[in-house]
Amino acid sequence: MALIRLVNVTKKFGEITAVDHIDLAVEDGEYLCILGQTGAGKTTLLRTIAGLLKPDEGEIYIEGKLVNGVPPEQRNAVYMFQQFALFPHMNVWQNVSFGPVIKDRSSEEVKEVSSEILEMVRLADRKDAFPHELSGGMQQRVALARGIASGARILLLDEPLGALDARLRVDIRRQLRKLVKDQKLTAIHVTHDQEEALMIADRIAVLRKGTIEQMGEPHEIYSRPRSIFVAGFVGGANFIEGNVVKIDSSSSSIEIRGGYEIRVSDTSKRVGEKVVVAVRPEDISVGLEEVSGSNNFHGKIESATFIGGSIEYKIRLENEETVSSRILLSGNLKTYEATEGIVVSFSPEKCFVFPYPKAGLLQEIEAI
Amino acid sequence: MPLRLKGSAGLSKTVVWATLGALLVFVLLPTFYLISYVFVRWNEVRVEVFENPIIGDENWRQILKVLFFSFRLSLSTVAFDLVFGIPLAYVLARKRFYGKSLLEDVVTLPLVIPTSGFGFATLITWTTVAGLGGALGLNSGLIPLNALIPVVDVTFILFTVHVALTFPYIVRTLETKFQSIDITFETASRTLGASALTTFRNILFPLSLPGVFSASVLAFARSLGETGATLIVSGVSSTASIAIVRWTSEFKLATASFMGSLLVVTAWLIILPVELYAGRRARSFRIPYQLPTSLSNRLIKIERLVSRRLAYLKDILPLIVVMVTVIVPIVVVLNSVILYWSTDPYTGKVQGGVLYQLFGPSNYFSSVVRASSTSIIVALASTYIATCIAIPLAFVIERRWYGDFIRSILKVPLIMPTSSLGLSVLLLWGSSGFNLVSSGIWLITLTHVVFSVPVIVESIIAAYEGSEIQMYEDSARTLGATAYNAIETVSLPLIKSGILTGFILSFTHSLGETGATFIVMGRDITIPALVVNMVEALAIPAALFTSTYLIILSLILLAVIRIITRS
Repeated sequence: MALIRLVNVTKKFGEITAVDHIDLAVEDGEYLCILGQTGAGKTTLLRTIAGLLKPDEGEIYIEGKLVNGVPPEQRNAVYMFQQFALFPHMNVWQNVSFGPVIKDRSSEEVKEVSSEILEMVRLADRKDAFPHELSGGMQQRVALARGIASGARILLLDEPLGALDARLRVDIRRQLRKLVKDQKLTAIHVTHDQEEALMIADRIAVLRKGTIEQMGEPHEIYSRPRSIFVAGFVGGANFIEGNVVKIDSSSSSIEIRGGYEIRVSDTSKRVGEKVVVAVRPEDISVGLEEVSGSNNFHGKIESATFIGGSIEYKIRLENEETVSSRILLSGNLKTYEATEGIVVSFSPEKCFVFPYPKAGLLQEIEAI
Repeated sequence: MPLRLKGSAGLSKTVVWATLGALLVFVLLPTFYLISYVFVRWNEVRVEVFENPIIGDENWRQILKVLFFSFRLSLSTVAFDLVFGIPLAYVLARKRFYGKSLLEDVVTLPLVIPTSGFGFATLITWTTVAGLGGALGLNSGLIPLNALIPVVDVTFILFTVHVALTFPYIVRTLETKFQSIDITFETASRTLGASALTTFRNILFPLSLPGVFSASVLAFARSLGETGATLIVSGVSSTASIAIVRWTSEFKLATASFMGSLLVVTAWLIILPVELYAGRRARSFRIPYQLPTSLSNRLIKIERLVSRRLAYLKDILPLIVVMVTVIVPIVVVLNSVILYWSTDPYTGKVQGGVLYQLFGPSNYFSSVVRASSTSIIVALASTYIATCIAIPLAFVIERRWYGDFIRSILKVPLIMPTSSLGLSVLLLWGSSGFNLVSSGIWLITLTHVVFSVPVIVESIIAAYEGSEIQMYEDSARTLGATAYNAIETVSLPLIKSGILTGFILSFTHSLGETGATFIVMGRDITIPALVVNMVEALAIPAALFTSTYLIILSLILLAVIRIITRS
């Protein structure tokens, strides 16, 4: 049975519908990421689950019980703010023991629980420090410890890593997931960082304009995006417009600008349908020779950008279409100096095909 | 989230209703009663003001004369304030220099010092031999009490006092406004080639226009309603607020309340449109004026020259104003107390000394002691009652959709002329209203509650909005705290400094209030009212001593506020 279940939940602010008829089920012990751009309704959804906002429509169940009218303190779900919200007038110990104290646990119990958890996040020696005396990473750990010490089984994390610097963010991702799993907690983690979501989550819900665009395990979202938006937002892709001209048993042909054709293994579209083909940059290879069995296009390199372990080429094809290709750098790989006479290749299996969106391609990719 | 969400959780209906009820009865009702009194007793007002059997409409002509005098005084004061206050506010907002916080304190001083004491200090500085006249070797005051300023036709001494008392409103309001405007706009303008003055005219000033208006309105209202210092320096001229005091003491309640209502209504008529304008302006912006190009080009050249050659003027001139209107009077009064301590330094008579007047046959010392205890009891009681109303009220304002409305209603007691305020409380609680409280210490307390509530509420709201209370409280809630627990363990400790600051501000305000107190005090005289009485009885050395005592008391309180807000 799902630990948290949302049925048809809607939340409006005046004219704006922040959360639009969402159904969602989170299993006990699951780490769920809600991924979306700024303004997609992520925080509103999370606050509604916490009980900090009342939904205008729909029901929220926690452990099978309808909690719509239940105040936040009785939901057993702790909300963690991006800024951590450590009480500035209390030291680490007082912050961490806030939950047990406010719930009237016995003083021995308070002491036992709080010191155990402080040990766990390796902050026992800083228990007399005040929040402003701690580094960002430490504050993050105190906030987590405080949440766990309150006895909550559900963590609602609102951009929990947003206030940390890039390096720390990657470290803490792992620790965060490990902590949730070790403590057998259930986490709903809101983020706009697709890399973070792909790395940390059991499942990801991609949120857009208050609705769930796609939900699934990280590799599923990445390898089988269900919409142009998801393909672009998670992982990134080249988008090429075209029309389906031929379908046979194992592949379809799509005619693109300049009369060229792309062969794709997707056969679900109809002949004559206007479509968008999405290909991830890492699925496009760059060479001097054509690759048999792949789509091959000739072009010239417009720019090459070195990004750490890989190199990203922008290539202008003969039909004036521009694609980007990301190549992992390894010992024997040569980088291309010449800008002319380049061949880009990608296999038909690596092409996602979507119906052409009504509002236009650009609108679809950029819309929040 | 771009939307500001007002969480409704956390305040029970009972608390909200009790708070709003207290607000209505203690703070708002007196004003409404004053205005309704005029309507209910219109016949009485008509007979007394317009159709007096003996003097006809002489009272009405008096009212008009006094009103116009007040308007001339207030308008010229605000104009002067703006000319010198804007540069000072700019310097305080944009420059870092040694002694800046001291300068800020000095500018704020007239808000803290009891007005009657301050009025007295100005009076002796300019019009007596103990002041500047003596210092310059004359054997009279530098300027006669009734010397008029040409054109505006108000007395110099009244003008000086009103400038000193309203200057802080202009400077501090604009300083805050300037600080709230991103300095990068000005940096951009400067790097694009505009001089400092052109930048100010084209960037900072238009962006601050709503602030300029609200500051002017505050200063105007303050000047219109000023009673304490005005009572002391008015001489033969009479402002509207003093007229109310005089008529009340002559039991011409109908005339007084008519005048009081007129003042309240005019103050509102002027303030309301500006508030609305400033509120709307804050959202959408456009430079409200456009100069023809040739004029504009010439102006830019002049501004470049002035920015280069005369920049020091903007630092120096406002300093001189502060020096002359604030510091000199305080220094003079402190100095005079020492001079007059045992004898009158000019006549050598013991009877003219402070000691003789305090402990001699007139025994002013016991009056001072009695007034001190009255003042302190009133200040403590009214501040305590006001705090009890203000804390829940601040939460209601922050958490209810009608909060902004209540906050703007709370401006009524702040802009209300103090003598009108005193009169309204007297009418409401006294024998012509509820008939529950008669003139004296408890009526003073009720009067002080009226202006203390908004003072404390504003201070709490500043602390509330400065820290993210809602986030902390939400956090506490999801950690298991009930709504009440969250307020008690998280919100109240976080706004503690705001409550304390408000408490002391209100205490100081109560200690120095003169105009309203004068009307409702009956036989329980407070210290500032005692100063007025002493001046009227020409017991100058005693007044010197009491003023000094008041000034020092409020300086101590100011220091306490400083210490609290710093930590």
